[in-house]
Amino acid sequence: MPALEATIRFAGQRNRLIGHNIANITTPNFQQKEVSPGDFQEWLARAVDDRRTKTGGMHGQLDLASDRQIRVQRDGGFELEPLTSTGGVLAHDRNNRDLEQLMQDLSENMAAYQVATDLMRSSMGTLGIAISQRV
Amino acid sequence: MYGSLDISTSGMIAQRTRLDVISANISNKNTILDAQGNYSPYRRRIAYLAAGNPGAQSGKGQALGVHVGAIGQDPSPFNLKYAPDSPYADASGYIKEPNIDTTTERIDAMEAVRAYEANVVAAETTKQMLALGLRLIG
Repeated sequence: MPALEATIRFAGQRNRLIGHNIANITTPNFQQKEVSPGDFQEWLARAVDDRRTKTGGMHGQLDLASDRQIRVQRDGGFELEPLTSTGGVLAHDRNNRDLEQLMQDLSENMAAYQVATDLMRSSMGTLGIAISQRV
Repeated sequence: MYGSLDISTSGMIAQRTRLDVISANISNKNTILDAQGNYSPYRRRIAYLAAGNPGAQSGKGQALGVHVGAIGQDPSPFNLKYAPDSPYADASGYIKEPNIDTTTERIDAMEAVRAYEANVVAAETTKQMLALGLRLIG
């Protein structure tokens, strides 16, 4: 569940970032901002591996540590620190937009969010069943 | 998540303002008098977009999003039209007409509409994600 929570949080914040890039698609001199979902997954996988070596299973809290693109907060949440993209072709207004890439990122991010929330729902349902059996 | 909608909305507002400016340019293509009726050809207006949204409620919202930083005038020279009979013609018989090229304006308008649509899609996606997140409760 903590891993799912982190995924949902990441997808939510990344959606905001993609929205920002789309809003600035015609802003002169604007450089697209991005966080790498691949780096996030590696970062999360490291935390899950750590937990497995410590507790020997899938239970317990994840021990998340800040890194270059993610700043962990005291309440267990985290904040993305996007990098400025230097890739892509600069248009005449010195904006390195790539609308197709942005739209693809938007759909992929949405799909990841959907999968994570569906999994979260089903594990909450399992939890509900477990609780109702006890009463 | 709620911040995402603000960002897409700021994009829509900025592109709509840009379209307003383009419409004003097209409708004033032949305007050579000012509101008081004096000879003063209309100068083409340009909406300059800038990143960030100073009107946003939260600090995070101010850093993200987009706004129209300024609406400036195009300093390029006026078009000259030979009209020796016009009361506004100069000594050699030319009148100055606004420096507006409708083709440029139409292309700009198309770009603004497409950018607006991209923001609408982003807002729709955010709405779907919000609904998914809220379904966790029920």
